[in-house]
Amino acid sequence: MAEPSKQEKTAVVDDGIDVGVSRLTEEKIQSVINSVIDNETGVRLKTYVETCIHCGLCSEACHYYLSHDKDPHYSPVGKVKQTIWEMIRKKGRVSPEFIRQAAIIAHTQCNLCKRCAQYCPFGIDIAYMMSIVRRIIHRLGVTPLYIQDTAHSHSVTMNQMWVKGDEWPDTLQWQEEEAQAEIPDLRIPLEKEGADIMYSVIAPEPKFQAQLLYQAAVIMHVAGVDWTMPASVGWDNSDMAMYTGDNEIMGRIKRAHFETAERLKVKKIVMGECGHAFRSVYDMGNRWLGWSMPPFTIVHAIEFYYDLIKAGRIQIARKFKPPVTLHDPCNVVRGAGLGEKARYVAHALCETVIEMYPNREHNYCCCAGGGVINTGPPFKMARVEGNRVKAEQLFETKTKGAEVLIAPCHNCHSGLEDIVHHYEIGLEIKFFSDIIYEVMEKPA
Amino acid sequence: MKTIALVALSLIIGTVLAISPVWSQDEMTVVDNTDFPNAQRPPSVFVHDRHNENAGIDDCAVCHHVYDEGQLLEDESSEDQRCVDCHYLERMGDQPGLMEAFHANCKGCHEQEGNGPILCGECHVR
Amino acid sequence: MHSFYNFVSGPLAWIAFLLFIGGSIFRIGRMLVLVAQKEPFIFTYMSWRYSFRSILHWIVPFATVNWRRQPVLTVVTFAFHLCLLAVPVFLLAHAVLWEDSFGIRWWSLPDTLADTLTVIVILGAVFFLVRRITRPEVRFVTSASDYVILAIVSAPFITGFLAYHQWFAYPLMMGLHVLAGDIMLAAIPFTRLSHMIFSPFTRAYMGSEFGKVRHARDW
Repeated sequence: MAEPSKQEKTAVVDDGIDVGVSRLTEEKIQSVINSVIDNETGVRLKTYVETCIHCGLCSEACHYYLSHDKDPHYSPVGKVKQTIWEMIRKKGRVSPEFIRQAAIIAHTQCNLCKRCAQYCPFGIDIAYMMSIVRRIIHRLGVTPLYIQDTAHSHSVTMNQMWVKGDEWPDTLQWQEEEAQAEIPDLRIPLEKEGADIMYSVIAPEPKFQAQLLYQAAVIMHVAGVDWTMPASVGWDNSDMAMYTGDNEIMGRIKRAHFETAERLKVKKIVMGECGHAFRSVYDMGNRWLGWSMPPFTIVHAIEFYYDLIKAGRIQIARKFKPPVTLHDPCNVVRGAGLGEKARYVAHALCETVIEMYPNREHNYCCCAGGGVINTGPPFKMARVEGNRVKAEQLFETKTKGAEVLIAPCHNCHSGLEDIVHHYEIGLEIKFFSDIIYEVMEKPA
Repeated sequence: MKTIALVALSLIIGTVLAISPVWSQDEMTVVDNTDFPNAQRPPSVFVHDRHNENAGIDDCAVCHHVYDEGQLLEDESSEDQRCVDCHYLERMGDQPGLMEAFHANCKGCHEQEGNGPILCGECHVR
Repeated sequence: MHSFYNFVSGPLAWIAFLLFIGGSIFRIGRMLVLVAQKEPFIFTYMSWRYSFRSILHWIVPFATVNWRRQPVLTVVTFAFHLCLLAVPVFLLAHAVLWEDSFGIRWWSLPDTLADTLTVIVILGAVFFLVRRITRPEVRFVTSASDYVILAIVSAPFITGFLAYHQWFAYPLMMGLHVLAGDIMLAAIPFTRLSHMIFSPFTRAYMGSEFGKVRHARDW
């Protein structure tokens, strides 16, 4: 092919992909691709493919493309060409090696952040097309190992991190006791039927970020919120199955989450600072279950903090001193329009807020979301090197004085840690709740 | 001597060319388009006598027709009138506008007869 | 003498218009049927307000971030598409044909202006061709069909330009011009020129999803 081929063929060894590919036959590939395209897609895919005028205007939307010196293999439409176009054009007659490459592209070179949808003059949903590729990869059994393991965890334990049945209430009890050392009458109410709010989190919080549960409990207590957490499954709102194209498991875990809220007879669900979980609960999982919009009012942490601060239910004792900058996570800013509320919260908490550019809906992705960070160590460098442009953006903001980076999303948070570390940018990364906990007025 | 002859010849040719439109009253070569305030195309090439000879048209009323209330008057003709006297710049009810009338008269006949120019640039020659 | 012209401007033109209009209706109809059959939720999320909000931003030059990022392309593409639509519809010679054939008459452009607009279309096509060849991100996703549709679109304008100026074999050029126009019309619903038909729908859907569900701007 007379095409530029700067992109190195990824030599990554991933047991999920490699073992999966070794089991493929051309017949199986063909039947799965055609089955997905015929039975699971419709007018959107067809119209997108037939309407795209191949103008390349989506390219500069993509942080991978920008970070790889504008290598066209990484442009959104370039990734579509290397995957679903070929599958459709060849009516599914593609090789196992093609599938291997498609798995790498769809799972590790696209965060499904939908920035490109804002750059395509026709509004073609390229992230959707990448999701279709992931669905095909899933049904072929070629999903990268680490994220597949996460999907297995969802399936077995109904949470993302293999948290066992007793570990969850144990962790909450532990954090409650810890917090009671600070605020003696603090409780983490479990299974409180009829509470206003069910607070749900992602499994990494009890697994290795338990202080976030502590902070949330303190915020709830101080604000006098009538809240509860479930003791049973349904407490975890995360969803990697959504990103592996395992829609059936996505449906099961979202149903468990909604049904738990229903069982507790709460008025709304408040979620921690996580982006993908919000997308799953608010946008994807509910649709799979047949709800055009979620059956519960879903309140993301950003909006929740906004409401609390605006209503004066938490008071700021002294504003956070170090200058901060705010990273807009795709799933809650491009996905829920919380950009302005995030800024309100940031300004309410901090003395100095320095904008990074671009920002809001046009912010560069963290390169961790969309399940990419969940493909684990084999692809860590793919996402770090695939986001040099984020490092440049952060560095520029640092030169303007920012010292702390607020990332109100778990995936962003972890992904940006790797970026900041690798490129030696030297920004401290915090959640909103870290800062609220630090600056709020607490009972003496 | 030669110089005088050349000057005289030029003068004669010049004069002839200058007054030729007056002489050529009968030698019409283009359709008069002066009634169009803002003509977009060159006037149609139309050598009246040769055209009618080639086309075998003896009856003036074939083109210079007279209509009354939508009815063609068989025995009357209108070569003493200007087309624009009836065919105004804009169409009036069933009465075609001037341009439409020209096109219908010329191109319409050519199409009907299967002979003669029908493309824009075949009449409006640049 | 005029048999070629008469054929392309007579029966073939009828077929071309039939294919263009019938084909467009068919493609839109089939799209709607497919929505109803397989993805009826699309209707659920469609919103007039957000559809037009999105379309409006994208049909105004420089009203979106990406248009502002690509100033040259934006000027060219808007000029190209505007002229591409305006010239065939408002060309005096075309209006005369409609008038002569059907007695309907509408406003038309002065010929000299139409001539300029035609040149803009041709230059626009050249720009797109050069861009397609020279920009790596465009060339990477270019297929033969992209050149074909560019040729299909520019041919009526190139032949029309030459015919208007009567520079080469005029009657042949007229015939080729009409043929090229027939081909373009007929090709619209059945090639990726169908973005003319579908882009308002894809734009509207994305606008609706962004506006109604995600409360975010898609420009």
